[in-house]
Amino acid sequence: MADIRPSGYSKHRKKQTYTRRLGTRATPMQVLMSERIGGMGALIVIIAALPLLLANNYQYDVAITIGINAIVVVGLNLLIGYAGQISLGHAGFFALGAYASAILTARYGLHGALAMPLGALGVGLLAYIIARPILRLSGHYLAMATLGVGVIINIVISREAWLTGGPDGMYVPPLEVWGVELYGGPIWYWIVAAFLVLAVWISLNIIDSPVGRALRGLHGAEVAAEVAGVDTTRYKVMVFVISAVMASVAGSLAAHFSEFVTPEKASFFHSILFVTMVVFGGMASTFGAVVGAAVLTLLPQLLADFASYEHMILGLIMMAVMIFMPRGLVPTLTGLARRRGARR
Amino acid sequence: MSLLRVENLSIQFGGVQAIQELDFEISEGTIHSIIGPNGAGKTTLFNLITGLYRPSAGAIYLDDAQIAGKRPHDLARMGLSRTFQNLRIMMNMTAIENVMVGRHLHLNRNLLACMLRLPMITRADKAARKRCIELMDLVGLGGAIDADASALPYGALKRLEIARALASEPRLLLLDEPAAGLNARETKEIDDVIATVARAGVTVVLVEHDMKLVMGISDHILVLDHGRKLAEGTPDAVRNNPAVVAAYLGQV
Ligand SMILES: Nc1ncnc2c1ncn2[C@@H]1O[C@H](COP(=O)(O)OP(=O)(O)OP(=O)(O)O)[C@@H](O)[C@H]1O
Ligand SMILES: [Mg+2]
Repeated sequence: MADIRPSGYSKHRKKQTYTRRLGTRATPMQVLMSERIGGMGALIVIIAALPLLLANNYQYDVAITIGINAIVVVGLNLLIGYAGQISLGHAGFFALGAYASAILTARYGLHGALAMPLGALGVGLLAYIIARPILRLSGHYLAMATLGVGVIINIVISREAWLTGGPDGMYVPPLEVWGVELYGGPIWYWIVAAFLVLAVWISLNIIDSPVGRALRGLHGAEVAAEVAGVDTTRYKVMVFVISAVMASVAGSLAAHFSEFVTPEKASFFHSILFVTMVVFGGMASTFGAVVGAAVLTLLPQLLADFASYEHMILGLIMMAVMIFMPRGLVPTLTGLARRRGARR
Repeated sequence: MSLLRVENLSIQFGGVQAIQELDFEISEGTIHSIIGPNGAGKTTLFNLITGLYRPSAGAIYLDDAQIAGKRPHDLARMGLSRTFQNLRIMMNMTAIENVMVGRHLHLNRNLLACMLRLPMITRADKAARKRCIELMDLVGLGGAIDADASALPYGALKRLEIARALASEPRLLLLDEPAAGLNARETKEIDDVIATVARAGVTVVLVEHDMKLVMGISDHILVLDHGRKLAEGTPDAVRNNPAVVAAYLGQV
């Protein structure tokens, strides 16, 4: 293979102004500001410290729901924020994971720790099968097609009452490990936290790898990525499957935690909520996904006092954030912080 | 032996015959320019060769393997690479990340290894980064390595296209108007880059309107007009071809 060396181009080497070159070390501040180390560290510290503030079961419930939603949103952000594809049907995959755990444990007596990966495998397979035809579409057409997927899953779950309990939902046995039932807020808090940290870690790893660059590349310039050797169809399918599997795992966790599942989990509204969390927290930001999930899970709880005005206030806040922070919460704020830092 | 051979190639869009019954060959290790007036079909020809368009008729051979109709990423694997006349930069990435996308085929893309960030992934990424920095130095972007692509001026993005195209270590590099919109000094730098690339053994196909650049650097020139071959030969032969002077050079 041809080896092209920059002989005779040394004059450009002097022009290094605003870059960090390979040889130079990052300052400790840069390391702390980096997404991987700084962000992961901050997330773990917050997760570890949060129980100090959680006073009762209700607050644990909210924290756990945030974690479960965040797992879905971190996955969905890979699809929407990084790869630039849309899905309005991911609540369907979330619900399928939840029902897989519910049905396999309640009706077939499988262990929950086995039901979850089986559900994830099934959802991954289904996502793979539908992704090939669907991801040829883009924009509004892709939105419509994925919406259709979600709606169909919702209908099937509601209709097949013999298996799913129909619209009334079904009971899910608690998770059991070595004869001990995992029950209650504190235990589930740590289970969900572990899965969330894992999801964030995997997401950060993917983004900063050849696979992640292929995904971001096809988002930024699909034809150029294709010409550079990226099998764009394959990568779109891959990220769709990854995000569906993450939603499925979150669904399984939700099922065992609440010990009850309803078709509501697959509702169109639930899908929209996930997408909103991605956009609100900030597209193409893994921590934005977590923050988006946290804020939009928490806000309705905080606004509950306003009773009938709750939805209106929530809507106004969302509109205001999107108008004043069009890139979403986290990218806007970190961008501000970085510019502050640069000015000093 | 010719590296690329095009036989009886045609494509039409609705009523427009963009390429008509075109035959030509490109021999390995040469700089081959394709010139012609606006709308002559130069970009369309690139799109056919790189698999973005499917020809209505005819064949394209790379090393005697028929490649017409193959998908672009498969052709990249076979050693084809190109830049775009209308920039196709990943504005959501940094400059060097754009170049590293060009390195895609040389890196380990195993999903599990990437998900777990195995040491071999980080090690390969580090080496790739180093290699990509060299390429950015080569095209004169040594000062913009970690800059956001969206923050770079037009001239820098033109170079970034070239660095990304080189990152795949192609055998055949197609450059679609790399000097368009650049000033004389920048054009000279692009000229030097092309010469360096060719000297390293890469076969270059150049589409360019800058006649000084084309005449100076090319081993062979193909002149297109309305999708057809108007003339072909060495720069001197083409320059003195009456049909070319009448149809093309005469206008400028
Ligand atoms: N995808 C397409 N759909 C319809 N018509 C097309 C398409 N691509 C190219 N054409 C037509 O084919 C003809 C050749 O276009 P092309 O872009 O190849 O010219 P060109 O030689 O690259 O011109 P320029 O020097 O302006 O870049 C034009 O008439 C153009 O309108
Ligand atoms: Mg053109």
